[in-house]
Order: sequence, then C-alpha cells, then structure tokens
Amino acid sequence: MPVVNWIRRHLVVIAGALALAYLILPNVVVMVFSFNNPTGRFNYEWQAFSTDAWTNPCGVADMCDSLSLSLQIAVYATVGATVLGAMIAFALARYRFRGKGATNMLIFLPMAMPEVVMAASLGTLFLNMRIPFGFWTILIAHIMFCLSFVVTAVKARVMSMDPRLEQAAQDLYATPAQTFFRVTLPLAAPGIASGALLAFALSFDDFIITNFNAGSTVTFPMFVWGSAQRGTPVQINVIGTAMFVVAVLCVLVGQVLGSKRKARA
Amino acid sequence: MNASSGGEVRLTGISKTYGSFTAVHPLDLTVPQGSFFALLGASGCGKTTTLRMIAGLERPTSGTVLLGDKEVTGLPPYKRPVNTVFQNYALFPHLDIYENVAFGLRRRGVKSVKKQVDEMLELVQLGGFARRKPQQLSGGQQQRVAVARALINHPQVLLLDEPLGALDLKLRRQMQLELKRIQTEVGITFVHVTHDQEEAMTMADTVAVMNAGRVEQLGAPADLYENPASTFVANFLGQSNLIEAEITGKSGGDLLLKVGDGRLALPAERCSARSTEVGTRVLAGVRPEKITLAHADDTDAIDDGRNRMNGTIVDSSFIGVSTQYVVSTPACPELAVFEQNVERDHRLIPGAPVVLHWNPAHTFGLDAGQDIEAGTADLEADQ
Repeated sequence: MPVVNWIRRHLVVIAGALALAYLILPNVVVMVFSFNNPTGRFNYEWQAFSTDAWTNPCGVADMCDSLSLSLQIAVYATVGATVLGAMIAFALARYRFRGKGATNMLIFLPMAMPEVVMAASLGTLFLNMRIPFGFWTILIAHIMFCLSFVVTAVKARVMSMDPRLEQAAQDLYATPAQTFFRVTLPLAAPGIASGALLAFALSFDDFIITNFNAGSTVTFPMFVWGSAQRGTPVQINVIGTAMFVVAVLCVLVGQVLGSKRKARA
Repeated sequence: MNASSGGEVRLTGISKTYGSFTAVHPLDLTVPQGSFFALLGASGCGKTTTLRMIAGLERPTSGTVLLGDKEVTGLPPYKRPVNTVFQNYALFPHLDIYENVAFGLRRRGVKSVKKQVDEMLELVQLGGFARRKPQQLSGGQQQRVAVARALINHPQVLLLDEPLGALDLKLRRQMQLELKRIQTEVGITFVHVTHDQEEAMTMADTVAVMNAGRVEQLGAPADLYENPASTFVANFLGQSNLIEAEITGKSGGDLLLKVGDGRLALPAERCSARSTEVGTRVLAGVRPEKITLAHADDTDAIDDGRNRMNGTIVDSSFIGVSTQYVVSTPACPELAVFEQNVERDHRLIPGAPVVLHWNPAHTFGLDAGQDIEAGTADLEADQ
C-alpha cells in the first residue's frame, strides 16, 4: 500500500498543513474580499476585482476616526497596563507582604469572569460614580482587564529569573537602581514585551466591555459591529488585511533579527 | 584599589540566625592577607552563609566584618572591595563575555575598559570568545569568565562559592590547579567555600573545617589530616579508622592503650582527649594508608616496636594505584587498609588471617565522648 505508507511518512506535515489552513483561511477570505467590488450594501459575494477600497481606505464616513480612537486607546491601555502590571508582577514574585495571597487570586478574576458580567458591573459603577462615559471610561476599563494578562506573563518570567544574577550585579558595584536597569529589566524584558503585545491586541479588538462603557464614543470594533447591521463596506476588509500584514511583518522582522543575532555570536 | 593592602579578613563574633535556626554560631576567624583560605564542610554547615556575610549579601545577626582595618559590617555589597565567583557562575545571560567581564569596571565609571578586559580574557585563556554569549560556552569556560569578571576589579578579597561544583571530575582537577596558579600570580586573598575535602586540601594554604555552624578545626591541610582534633574532622577529611580503647599506662612519651585483647601505643602529645589518666576511654585513630598488612604466617618478620592487631580480610577492592581492604578484628569489625600495589601478596584475599601493623607515631587519640560516626555520611549524596 504505497499510499498508506506515503501518508504515514508525511503525517506530521499533513497535520501541520491542515492546522495552518484552518488558521489562515479566514484571513485569506478577508484579504480576497478587500479587492471586491460589491453591487449591494453587503460584501458577502464576489462580484468583480477592484482596488477602489485600497485607494480610498477612509472613504466610509467615521470609520477612520473610530480606527484612530481604537489605536489611541490601545496604546495608552498597553502602556498603563504594562507599567502597572510589571510592578505588581515584581511585587508578587519577589516580595512578601500582607495581602499577597489575595492579590495573587484577585488578579486572575478578570480573566476568569464572563466578560459581559464585568462589562455590565463596570458600567453600573461608572454610572453610580457619575463619571461620564467616553474615552476615559473605556481606557480605565481596558487597563483593568489587560492588567491580569500582563501580570501573568511578567510574573512567570520573573519567577524563572535567578536571583543570584542581581546579587552578582550588586557584588560588581551596581547600585540598586543600576542593578534594576542593567540586569533585572533586560532579563524580564521578554515577559514584559509579551504582556504588552497581549494587552495591545486585547484592547484593540475588545467589543463587549467597550460597548457597555463607551457612551456615544465609537471604537473600531463597535463601528464594524454597527455597520454589519446596515451593510459592510469593503474598507473594513482593507483595514483587516492591513492589520494582518503588519502583524506578520512584525513577526518576520523579529525572526530575522533574532537569527542574525544568533549567527553573529 | 590596591591588592597589596587591606586583604586581611577578620570576622569577630559573627553569627547568623534565621528565626529559630542558627546557621552560623558566633565565630572568630582571621584570613591572612594574600592567603588561599578554604571553608570546608557538608552542605548546610554555614560555610556559604559565612562567605555571603563577607560579601555583604547577608547581614550578620551579630558580630563585625573587617577588611584590613576598615569595618564593612553595615556596607551594602556594591560598596565593598570584595568580589564573588558564584556557584553556577551567575553570568549575565543578556550580555556577551566582554560586557560580562567589563561590568564591574563600567559600574565604577572606568572609561576605557578595552585594554583591561582583553588582558583579563587572556589571563583566563578566553581571548577569542569576547563576543559570545555565556550560554554558548562550556561549563569550564563559563567558570573562567566568572573568575575574570571578579578579578578584573582587583578586589582586596576574592570569594569563591563552590566554584567548581558543576564541573566534571577531570575538569575540576584542572581548574583547581588553574585557580591556584591565578591566585599565586595576582596575590589576592582568596576565600574558597567547598564541600570537597580533596579540593580544599589541594588548593588552600589554610583550611577551616565547619560543622553545624561552627569551625571544628583550622590549620594547614597536612596538619589537619595528620592531627585531626575531632571525630568529625578525622572522618570528613579523608578516611580514618577509629578504635575504642582504654588508657592502661604510660611508657616514656607514649600512652599505652588496651584495645579488645590487644595493646597499642599512642604518642601522648597526639592525644586530644580531655584526660590522659589511666582508665580513661579514648578513641585511637589511624589512617588506612599508614597500616601495613601482613599475612598471619609472616608475623615473626614484624618489628617489635610496631602497633599490631590481628584480623581477617573481609573484602578487598582493587582500584589501580592501591588495593583497599576491609579487615575485621576483635576490637573493631571494619578496619580500612590501603596498600600500594607495589608487590602484591597473592595470599591477601578475603578470608585470609592477617596482622595489621603500623608505626605507633602515626596513631592519634581523640576524646571518646563524641559521635564516632560524625562526618562519615556520603557527601556527594546530599549535594
């Protein structure tokens, strides 16, 4: 049975290819349909090839405003959650203090709790505190739920770091501040970076919590949701494709830099 | 930083307790300038804690640390003219070898480090490795980087915390000689912590044997080996045969001992027992390699002045340079005897009746009021 043998020999490759297809296919559809020229309001059926949407990405009213708002919030939320989360992670991994156990447990709550419950309760909180919904309420909510992911990522990294490295730095005349910036921070950087990336991705595409706390402000996910009711402009596919390409490029650049560093050493 | 001054380490009444556990009992220790000093003991005996108190990584519960004439007890590690070679080296994984070695100089604001770093890498024979990362080096190479990274600062004292523990035996022997060479070359005071008694004896001028937070005995390696003052030192440093005996009299400078139904002579000045009165129980000790083994048929050829015991060979193992015998005697069920493999007597096989004999001057006496087994535990196993 040559066929069976062939399959047996290439099973890993086949499984890998199938998994990759499963992951990539939706993105390919988005990409293909960004070149569509739909006849009606909905971009669900292939009609004709066109680059109209690509030459005029902000051609849809309000879409680019919502996109820039989402990017702003994502950047601020990432910075806020990363700084705060890294500090909490260091405290939890390195120090003993009253309430450590409780903090350790509570930090997991936003991840474990159904998002819609948290969204509704946050909304109630803001309402009762008479804080007007808008940019700031969205930002506060985003920092809150991104925090637990950053803490988890950084804590795992800090726990695996050898405390003797910091002692060695001190032994070699580094003050506590120098030790932190020259040794601790560079060693924790991969954990902090992965926490930050996660925070950015989560904040950028969050819909549920944002929807409950946005008031009349419209972020990009909310815009997509809203327009899906009335008709989907091709520009949404353009933005989606662009984000995909940027993400893939980031990964590729990282890989190339990493392998170069290895080759040089 | 001048290595020729202030390299003396003086610990006065220094101790460390963690809660109710005492890691180091109040301890006085002076390490002379320029010496190679070893703190030897099993894991958990307080030797590393003592070292870390000198480095400033551990704050002593009581007592003072002096480097030369300067008291440093309250100073943080980065203000002490002392550097450490850590166990498992603690090289910075995000920096290359060059930057690892330059770290201390840069922190002290030295501007042009290149010449010094290059020289130091030459000293430890790693000239071509400057741009590698630590994880790309072998264990022995990493160890040399750790030494270079500490020595480049010309510390008054270099502290070594089990620096060779992670290396395989052959490399360890090689690095012992290497470290000794470097120490002689730079003339800095070295304080070396180890659980390996052979390592301590090979490298150090002075060895302090530590046990349960106390220094049991301190001296030159040969002195400690020949004249152990406690059963722990006798057993921990090499191997000893300890035989329960009773003082029955004196003859010239010797104490006469009764051992089972036999007699032994012990030089009075080599007996550290509290009392040498007739009737006192003591432990008579002799190192396995000092004993000569003769077949019972050859008893007449043995000189009269020698200590002798009759026994039967229980076990023998050939290990190349020597053969190690276990001999059962009425006074002691298991005596170890090491015989050089010069002319092997083929009658010496398990079951053979033998006479053990040795020069009485090689016998040492210990107080009987201590654990005869102290220090015999398998040391590799608890690492």
